[in-house]
Amino acid sequence: MPARRRSAAGLSGHRLAGPLFASPALLGLAIFLVAPFVLALVLSFYRVQLNSPRPARFVGFEQYTRLFTDPDLAAAFGQALLNNFTFALIVVPVQTVLALALAVLVNRKLRGMVIFRTFIFMPLVFPLALTAVIWRLIYSRGDQGLLNAILGLFSGGSYTGHDWLGDPSTALGSIIVMSIWQSVSFQMIIVLAALQSVPTELYEAASLDRANKWAQFLNVTVPGIRNTLIFVALITTIFSFRLFDQVYLLSRSGSVDRASTETVMTQIINTGFDNNNVGQAAAMTVIFMLIITVIAIIQRAAVRQRGGV
Amino acid sequence: MMTIPKSPSGARILAAAAAVSIAALALTGCGGPGTSSTGSTGAAVTAGSGEGTINVWAVDGQAAENDALKKIISNFESSQSKIKVNLKLFPSDQYTKAVNSAAPGDLPDVLDFDGPTLASFVYNGKMAPLKGSVSDATLSNQTDSIKSQNTVDDAVYGVGMMNAGLALWGNKKLLDAAGVAYPTTPEKAWTADEFTGVLDKLATVVPGGKPLDLSEQYGFAGEWGTCCSAGPVIWSGGGTMLKDNKASGALDSDANVKSLTQFASWKKYTDPNADGLAFTSGRVALSWVGHWTYPTYKALGSDLVSIPLPNFGKGTKTASGTFAWGMGATTKNGAAAGKFLDFLMTDQSVSTYTDANGAPPATKTALAASTLYGPGKQLQLLGDQLSKACGTEDQISDTCVSVTRPVTAGYPVVTDQVGKAEAAIYAGKDAKAALSAAARAIDQNFADNDGYKK
Amino acid sequence: MTISKSLKSGRRGGSMKRTRRWQTALHYLILTAVSLFFFLPVYYLIVGSFRPSAEVLSGISGFVPTNLSFDNYTGVFEHLSSEATGYFGQFAAVSIIVTTVVVAGSLVVNSMAAYSFARMQWRGKKVLFLLVIVLTIIPFEAVALPLYFMFSSQRDTVYIQAIPFIANAFSIFLFYTFFLDVPGEIEEAARLDGAGPFRTFFQVVVPITKPAFATVAILTFLAQWGSYLWPVLMVSDPTVRPLPLAISIFQNQQPPEWGQVLAFGTMFIVPVLAVFLIFQRWFVASISSSAVKG
Repeated sequence: MPARRRSAAGLSGHRLAGPLFASPALLGLAIFLVAPFVLALVLSFYRVQLNSPRPARFVGFEQYTRLFTDPDLAAAFGQALLNNFTFALIVVPVQTVLALALAVLVNRKLRGMVIFRTFIFMPLVFPLALTAVIWRLIYSRGDQGLLNAILGLFSGGSYTGHDWLGDPSTALGSIIVMSIWQSVSFQMIIVLAALQSVPTELYEAASLDRANKWAQFLNVTVPGIRNTLIFVALITTIFSFRLFDQVYLLSRSGSVDRASTETVMTQIINTGFDNNNVGQAAAMTVIFMLIITVIAIIQRAAVRQRGGV
Repeated sequence: MMTIPKSPSGARILAAAAAVSIAALALTGCGGPGTSSTGSTGAAVTAGSGEGTINVWAVDGQAAENDALKKIISNFESSQSKIKVNLKLFPSDQYTKAVNSAAPGDLPDVLDFDGPTLASFVYNGKMAPLKGSVSDATLSNQTDSIKSQNTVDDAVYGVGMMNAGLALWGNKKLLDAAGVAYPTTPEKAWTADEFTGVLDKLATVVPGGKPLDLSEQYGFAGEWGTCCSAGPVIWSGGGTMLKDNKASGALDSDANVKSLTQFASWKKYTDPNADGLAFTSGRVALSWVGHWTYPTYKALGSDLVSIPLPNFGKGTKTASGTFAWGMGATTKNGAAAGKFLDFLMTDQSVSTYTDANGAPPATKTALAASTLYGPGKQLQLLGDQLSKACGTEDQISDTCVSVTRPVTAGYPVVTDQVGKAEAAIYAGKDAKAALSAAARAIDQNFADNDGYKK
Repeated sequence: MTISKSLKSGRRGGSMKRTRRWQTALHYLILTAVSLFFFLPVYYLIVGSFRPSAEVLSGISGFVPTNLSFDNYTGVFEHLSSEATGYFGQFAAVSIIVTTVVVAGSLVVNSMAAYSFARMQWRGKKVLFLLVIVLTIIPFEAVALPLYFMFSSQRDTVYIQAIPFIANAFSIFLFYTFFLDVPGEIEEAARLDGAGPFRTFFQVVVPITKPAFATVAILTFLAQWGSYLWPVLMVSDPTVRPLPLAISIFQNQQPPEWGQVLAFGTMFIVPVLAVFLIFQRWFVASISSSAVKG
């Protein structure tokens, strides 16, 4: 591309223009992303509280050893990690498959499809705080709760109200359903775009081979959008570890058992903000970051394989 | 601010890292992490001119309480022309943090505080002693129990309009329909086992088959759980949360395990009360809640009865102590703040406030004039309970009723852990495990803070 | 929609017409069920906001639109009627100001950085761009707590709610991919006209890369409008409280007024829903390009 070369060379006449253009954003990233990230590392070696009369005290790796060896802390942190992993383990496959199914469902020219699509896309603009408030009412215990009422209606009254958010065995599941409701359309839109970019000739060739629709789906559609599916699965994984808003909001309402829904993020905020144990929370932050990094590395590896498809 | 790291090689890395973040801080032109200047003795109150606007922080309470507070403030502003009041309400679950994380310059002139958080606020240098700013007449008119709540290390930091009390509010019509006789004095409180039997009977007469409201809507995992739900259960069962500043061996005692497990067994009788209407709409026959619902519940008229909380072995117990008013450590207008506090404690203000929330007044003159508290009046039970004060946890006897929550600068972690444990037990988890974990977490926090000693 | 066309053309013969009709009916059935799942909570929110609080949580009848009135809406405004509690309008203003500043700021700042990385030559560019790419993996959550520690003295201000979110590594990357496709001849022509880098960028490049700006604007808006974690840490004062934090506090009021909570939620979401309905295409396009480009 000789033209681009030349134009770039031309612009470099203004020696400072490049750095000048980049500097506001770089400065912002340095102050609000890099600096706190470094600070988290530093703080994790201290016993430190915000606005405390006592000075910060250097404690080496104590915050980390506690996180992994102190029976209670390790159990609580392990539980939070486990909740995140469980969430990811369920949400990633379910939401990816659901996104694909929904994309296939709406990727058809039918009368009124625009309206159906609008309904499905709608939760996209719902902030999680609002979503949690609505679903808190849906999940409400006893037969006043909407979900219980609906289930009661279908079971002809034999069903007795369940405490969806209060029962530790269904609390996480309930949060999963509400999270999928809010965010699946995001993934679905991405998959839909990929579906529409699969070359039509491939389908024509397949139908000439008398492949039925299911076979076409497996042999043409899925391979054609493989990379998109990987991408969707990975952003959903990262999203699973960032889980905070709905859990934090709901754990402070009603008689919810916090441990059954605690995530790494809610624990960081509970430790560092609610309990003002900043050093401990900084150590959790560092571990959280390590996990995110590992996921990101897997993502890079998966993307690198793209050429092979 | 930060002590010198031990290992020399690590020190260089840390120093470099710290330099990066501090450089970034300097770039933004704002202060570093404020771990420095506030000391518990460094309170710097200036009397000021006694005029101008004072900032007041308060907890966002019941709607009726908020309205009453606003009314008192407007009365204050119209009673004189020199002082204006700028009130801000904060949600209760954020309030302690808002105060504890406020930089010294951002503290208000006057602030509301919950009794047990006072020690923590004083420890963190957020409060100023009232002597000299508030009139002696106001201070001497405080009832003894509220005065002891508001005193730390012999200095008075707060004045209160009200005290607090808990009861089982009963719907007489439903109790009679089930043929249940109910106790009206603390001595005759139902034992926990009797209470289970009562619930069985009541279940047959209420529409949903769930005759009890335990105020789940407030959330057990917060102050409600510690103060008003787990607290009375623990104390009544003969246990405590802390013993000699330690939770292990106290909070996780067998007595507490037994009491809280029994409490959790009532979940199957309990209406979640998500709409707050369970009692007034007749869905439940009994409601375990504080004085503040009285203004709503009195709609039941003569069918409203107050019953002591169940007895888990050592007599019925309730929590005492509640929100009171103090001065910010750095106020520049102490004289005006003092005048406002004096006004809050006048009989008229106190009765405006306590009429709105049904609380027992905490000033001697207002209590004497109360139409609700005192022999033969409708809330006699709550008054009786308050007069049978136990003092703090370690002074509990079988006959006293009102217990003061633990007085320690570490109260925020106590309440966080106790509430969390109660919610877990109520959700069906093993009580011993939940309480032991909470106890160890509390002890760890105390150890990390050198037992909150000065 | 090209695929569905080709699928249809692949089918031959009228004998299949009947099966196809059944398939279509089934398709509609599934579509309806799915739409119900997504729409019922929205319907419940809006209908509930017009019903008496006592009837919102009343089982299946919570869905039935009876006893409708605006009482809950006036209730919200009565409840939030002083500086002490904050005003609904004030919450909305904070959210609108913060979101506008973040969206506008991020369009300017990140596009300029991306342009510099994509089309200019300067020393250190490669290293810095690599750093930006690495930073795209750090989610805000990972730095929330230390950031709170750094800026706790700026709590309860409006600007601290916005400024940290203006520079965004992912937005830079998105712009970058768009700017790579700008034909060099256009810039060259501008240069020959005597335009400097600023004029070239703002008057020549920006107008032809509008979709990039729409994409970043919409994605930034979606993330910022619902921002909750940062306000939880940084905002106690009701006068600078943004909507998501405000509703989480409003829903915990005692005694509960669920009708009012739903009215609050409706006012929170309906304007956004309206914008979404009008610009649905843009929303969809920007979301799909976040993946294709990323």
